Parts: sequence; structure tokens; C-alpha cells
Amino acid sequence: MTSTIRTLFLGLAAAVVSTTALAAGPSYQIEVEGLACPFCAYGIEKQLGKIEGVQTIETDIEAGRVIVTMDDGHTLDESRAEQAVDRAGFTLGSFEPLDASPTTNGQ
Amino acid sequence: MTHHRHKTASGHRLFAVAAMVASGLTQAAPQTFNTALPVAEGNVVLREQFLYRKADDDPSPARRDLRVNGAITVLGYGLTSDLALFGALPYLDKEFDLDGPGGQRIERSSRGLGDARLFARYTAFRDDAPGRTFRIAPFLGVETPTGDDDERDRFSRLPQPLQSGSGSWDPFGGVVLTYQTLAYQLDAQFAYQANTEANGFKFGDEARLDGSLQYRLWPRKLSGGVPGFLYGVLEANLIHHEKNEVNGMRDADSGGTQLFLSPGLQYVTRRWIIEGIVQLPAAQDLNGAALEDDFITRIGFRINF
Repeated sequence: MTSTIRTLFLGLAAAVVSTTALAAGPSYQIEVEGLACPFCAYGIEKQLGKIEGVQTIETDIEAGRVIVTMDDGHTLDESRAEQAVDRAGFTLGSFEPLDASPTTNGQ
Repeated sequence: MTHHRHKTASGHRLFAVAAMVASGLTQAAPQTFNTALPVAEGNVVLREQFLYRKADDDPSPARRDLRVNGAITVLGYGLTSDLALFGALPYLDKEFDLDGPGGQRIERSSRGLGDARLFARYTAFRDDAPGRTFRIAPFLGVETPTGDDDERDRFSRLPQPLQSGSGSWDPFGGVVLTYQTLAYQLDAQFAYQANTEANGFKFGDEARLDGSLQYRLWPRKLSGGVPGFLYGVLEANLIHHEKNEVNGMRDADSGGTQLFLSPGLQYVTRRWIIEGIVQLPAAQDLNGAALEDDFITRIGFRINF
């Protein structure tokens, strides 16, 4: 009985994990000019996080780079990224999609 | 009369501390003055700073001793990415004692909310590049008479400078420049406050020139992500006060010029900052028998919301 419950639990957990992984959409690399301290990074992440469909945000302060990963079915366009970076008080340096996932078409 | 002058001169310095503290801003930046770094649109930043000031270097025989404990709360709000609004409210506990005419020790004190400062800062120039930024931001505001300016003790009404509030509306403005890289940050500020009269008393106008260097001590090398930065800090404040005016007459024992040099530390993360600094008077050229400062310590934190 115990092993059955454990099996069901592990199966459920695996399903949740795999669903989450599969739900990840396209990723974008955003170069931010002017970013030079951790406290300022928060403002950029918060502005980008307001965009509908953003799943994760990873910042590398040394490179001045932010990787934004969208939910499945969502995309991010450059003008929206530029607006978010500008609202944080910084300048968009470059914007580049990182992959061409088949799940990126349409919002 | 001598005692009155002494109290007035000391109180003038009390006021100066309130103004100096409240001018601190909410970004990762200098601890004794302003910065030009942005507050993101719609963001709120809270800063709390606690201070202790000691001034008992008395050129007169009255053995005056001044201690100030305080807490200053600052809120910053990004109205747009270029325009930020700030409000600062101090709570000050002032204790002042001196020898009376008969040799007895006289103690006078006050505590309460001080004068709130409201101001706006606009980023007029911004030059961003990978890993660095340079900004110029003028600011303009007013110190409002929110503090009690009619406190009394067993002797009489407290001298105006010992009151928690000034009772006057005092406009101020200035410009701050910031150059920030991943390794270090430089800030410079010029500010002027034009004080007005209230209760027959006018504090002397204040002009100040400030500079700050922050150098990243740790981590020495960056390796991805957003680690916390530990900065070593060295700040300098050159502050000049005009003489106070009592019923239209200038007080000869007030005003003057001070230069503070201030070493400190600051630990900065994405969401919060903790910091501390000690302001040491490197030079003091005060008028008459104005009481000189010994030191001012400040510790505090800031939170990004």
C-alpha cells in the first residue's frame, strides 16, 4: 500500500515537473546598457516581470545581460523589451531571440 | 546673553544635522547625500537611517555638550524613469547641557518628529554603456514645518534651534552627478537651501558641496548572476552656513564652514542594502563660539519594493 502511494506520488511529481519544463517558451537575450549595481538590477527585473507571459528572468550583471524565458505560447518583441528597460531607467543595447522553438508562434 | 548665544550656536548645528541627514536618498549610493541613479517607474524604495551625533568641543568655558539620536525615514517613488519623488521625515532626540551662571549644570532636551522634506529629482542627462552609466540630475524641493516649533521645558520655551521643527518653509535645490561602473562609483553634488523666517528666527542659508567614492571590495571577480556587492566608501562634505538671524539681527556665534571626511561600508543586493559610515570633521571654521562637531555615525538599510 505504502509503495503504491509512493509510486503515485512520484508519478504525479514527475508529471508536474515535466509539464513545467514543457511549458517553457522562447528565450531572449537582452543587453542592458548602464547596469552596474545589484540594486539597479531589481528595477529591470521587475519591469520585465510585468510583461505578460514572462516565466523566468536571469541577470548576469557582469555581462549586462538579462535572459528572459517566456511561457509556452508567448513571445517577447523588442519594442516591449525596450519599453521595460527604459521604464527601469536604463538603455536597451541589443535584443536577440535565443532559440527558434516550435512553440513560439502566437500569443 | 552669553548663554543664549551659546545655545543658539549649538542649536544651529543641530539643525544642520537634520538637513544633512534628510538629504540622503534611497538608491545604492552615498550615505550622506544624493545620487543620480534611477528609481524605476512605479517602484518604491524605502530607506531608514539611524544616526548618533556628538559635539562637545566647546571653545567657550560653558562646557557645552550636545548629543543627537535620530532616525530618518525616506521614501522614494519613480513617477517615470526620469522623474522621482522623495519624502524624508526625521525623528530626532536632542540632548544639550552646559554650565549655568552659578556653575550648576543645565540640561535641556527635545524629541519628536522634525521637518519633512519633499523633493523631486529629474534625470536631465543620461549616458549609458555596457557596465557603466553617467547621469546628471537636478533636484528641487522644500523643507516643510511639520516638526513642533513651540516645545518648552521647566526653564522656558526652548531656543528655536533646539526645537524639533523650524516652523518655516525652506526651499532647496541642487544638482547631483553620478558615474557608476561595476568596480566603483563616483558621486558629486552641489546643493543650496534658502531658509526663511519663523518665530522671529531665521536659520542661515546652507550651501554644500559633496563627493563620494565607492569601491567594490567583494567579490573581487564577478562570475555570473547578481551577487551582493560590498563597497568601501569614502565621502566628503563641505558645508557652509550663513549666520542665523534673531529678530532681524545676525547671530555672531552661528554659521561657518565645516569639512567632513567619512569612511564607511555598504553591502548592496538586489532587494536590500545595509550600510554604515562615520563622519569626522577634518576642518571646522565656525563663527564666534559655535560648538564644534566631534563625530556623526550613521547606520541604516534600504529596501527595494
